Amino acid sequence: MDLAGTAPTGVSPVGARPARRPHLRRIRSLARAHEHHLWVAGGRAAALVPLVALALTMVVLAWKAWPAARVNGLHFLVASTWKPGSTYGAVTRTDGVAHPVGASYGAWPVIAGTLESSLIAIVIAVPVSIGAAFALTERLGGWLAGVLRTAIEILAGVPSVIIGLWGALTLGPLLANDVYPVIARNMPDLPALRFFKGPVGHGEGLATSGIVLALMIIPIIASTTRTLFAQVPALPKEGGEALGMTDWEVSRRITMPWVRAGIVGAAVLGLARALGETIAVAMVSGSLLNTVAPNLYGTMGTIAATLVTQLDSAFVDGTGFEVRTLAELAVVLVVVLLLVNTAARLIVRRAGGIAAPVGTGA
Amino acid sequence: MPFISPRYRDRVDRDDRTVGPGIEVTSGPGRSEVDLVLEAMDPDGVRPAEAIAARNLSLCFADKHIVSEVSVGFPRGTITALIGPTGCGKSTFLRTLNRMNDRVPGFARQGDVVLDGESIWAPSQDLLNLRRRVGMVFQRPNPFPMSIRDNVVAGVRAHRIAKGKQLDVVAEERLRQVGLWDAVKDRLGDSPFRLSGGQQQLLCLARALAVGPEVLLLDEPTSSLDPISTELVEELLRSLTPALTLILVTHNLGQARRTSQHTMFLYQGRLVEHGPTQDLFERPKDPDTLHYVTGRIG
Ligand SMILES: Nc1ncnc2c1ncn2[C@@H]1O[C@H](COP(=O)(O)OP(=O)(O)OP(=O)(O)O)[C@@H](O)[C@H]1O
Ligand SMILES: [Mg+2]
Repeated sequence: MDLAGTAPTGVSPVGARPARRPHLRRIRSLARAHEHHLWVAGGRAAALVPLVALALTMVVLAWKAWPAARVNGLHFLVASTWKPGSTYGAVTRTDGVAHPVGASYGAWPVIAGTLESSLIAIVIAVPVSIGAAFALTERLGGWLAGVLRTAIEILAGVPSVIIGLWGALTLGPLLANDVYPVIARNMPDLPALRFFKGPVGHGEGLATSGIVLALMIIPIIASTTRTLFAQVPALPKEGGEALGMTDWEVSRRITMPWVRAGIVGAAVLGLARALGETIAVAMVSGSLLNTVAPNLYGTMGTIAATLVTQLDSAFVDGTGFEVRTLAELAVVLVVVLLLVNTAARLIVRRAGGIAAPVGTGA
Repeated sequence: MPFISPRYRDRVDRDDRTVGPGIEVTSGPGRSEVDLVLEAMDPDGVRPAEAIAARNLSLCFADKHIVSEVSVGFPRGTITALIGPTGCGKSTFLRTLNRMNDRVPGFARQGDVVLDGESIWAPSQDLLNLRRRVGMVFQRPNPFPMSIRDNVVAGVRAHRIAKGKQLDVVAEERLRQVGLWDAVKDRLGDSPFRLSGGQQQLLCLARALAVGPEVLLLDEPTSSLDPISTELVEELLRSLTPALTLILVTHNLGQARRTSQHTMFLYQGRLVEHGPTQDLFERPKDPDTLHYVTGRIG
């Protein structure tokens, strides 16, 4: 071995093997010096992937949807019609876009159904999830906590089609027989509460959809919230205790506010899931396309459920117009999701006004 | 001429035969105020001279002895410093005095702690009221996630001592007492987490004082503060006597000497020495104490 050739490179640490290949060494040390930049660049690229994917999806959808949007116009957002038009292949053109004669689409019922069912879901799921997370971290100990945690984990893992089936076969009829009539009967007869009265149906509809959605988002919200609660440092809680606050006051005045912003985030995560949930809702909603549910129990549809239930028949439309209309509907859903997200961000910013900045105060 | 309320002086003289260093009540409130405070605290003059006392107290965590057979009394209206090397059980002892350890898994105790002659574990003791009477300030500031004003009155609210507009009065009074008013009076609604560490600790002190405690437990309250803030806090603590009885855990021997009338030295869970601060530092009876105060153990 030619030891004479291993001239010191000037950077070899004491005790290190003398460098045999100065070039390789130089490259290595160069890489080390710039390692940080490599990581940053890599991280940025990785962060771009979802953005690019989202952008591409939007572009393709918008491309598909644009002709339909031109024909359907603003009418699409407010009208309550879902008519594919002539089934005999009579085609006409509006603004140069071919579509069956008599085709007329207005998605207001499914837009409203999406918002209503998700609202019901979130109204049920948020308190239940916070309660469950709270019980898990702050109150229950031992096996009871284990049972609850396992139940939530199992619920999180059940495929939505199973929940949908169970909702359609068991939960819906049960609710329609034993629960909805009680609510409808006992609700005071006020104009503002008329929504809760009237015929209760057979278990397919808005209320059942909302409840099924709630079941599906409870695990998401509860597990996120549980992590949040577990991260609240002990010191401020002990401070409250030492001041003579009850457990309840410590929870309400210290633990909850500490994670308020995070809970809003968890709720938004659940809401997004509810807005986009498809198959379970398709199975319990009644899949009505052209009517807004007259009361809490009425049959209805959602955007996502409509996309999946109508796609087959849409392909029958030789002009492709109905498929384009479904693409337009998908764009509406994405826009609704973005709006919800933005609104949530604003709420988080306000809710976070006094709450501890993440990672401080411990 | 240092002023000491006659009743207070009696008690100090009787208990200790000497008025310890640092009892310079001149800088505190004026004569009539002190008398008012003492009278309000003890209208018939029948309260025991020791505000709080441990009797043969032994504390364990999961069968491991942390504190063994400590008997010590804390004379009303004085500051007692609690010193000792890390891990000797100072915090454990202190936290037991307002029952903060009761729910810690594995915690067990023998012996007793008496507050005004009554065991703190007596069935007639209301835990929440006990904690109102025996307040606590922690090593690191721990503001609550609410506005500065709400932080000060959090305990006042919980105990329903005041409400509505009165809360503003309480908040101002306590913030003034700890010298924080001028710094925060224009941002009472802001987050406390934007205050400096020292200001946060003062806020926690104001919060503890707002519920009107009789005894205040302080676990290294200045360990995260700079020397100037530390000096402010020390001055504030001195001004709290004789209305309050203070127990101050500290690693800062200078602080113990500057602020306390009595010092107790805890070493490996045992109360090695307890006495007037000056005696303990200048004429320690126990060789371990001598080693510790001269910096050779700990
Ligand atoms: N919750 C607990 N469970 C078990 N052991 C504990 C617990 N808390 C404290 N200990 C033990 O008790 C001993 C005394 O702890 P303590 O916190 O009272 O010491 P300290 O004197 O306050 O120390 P320092 O000066 O570092 O704050 C330590 O050995 C510690 O490990
Ligand atoms: Mg300690």
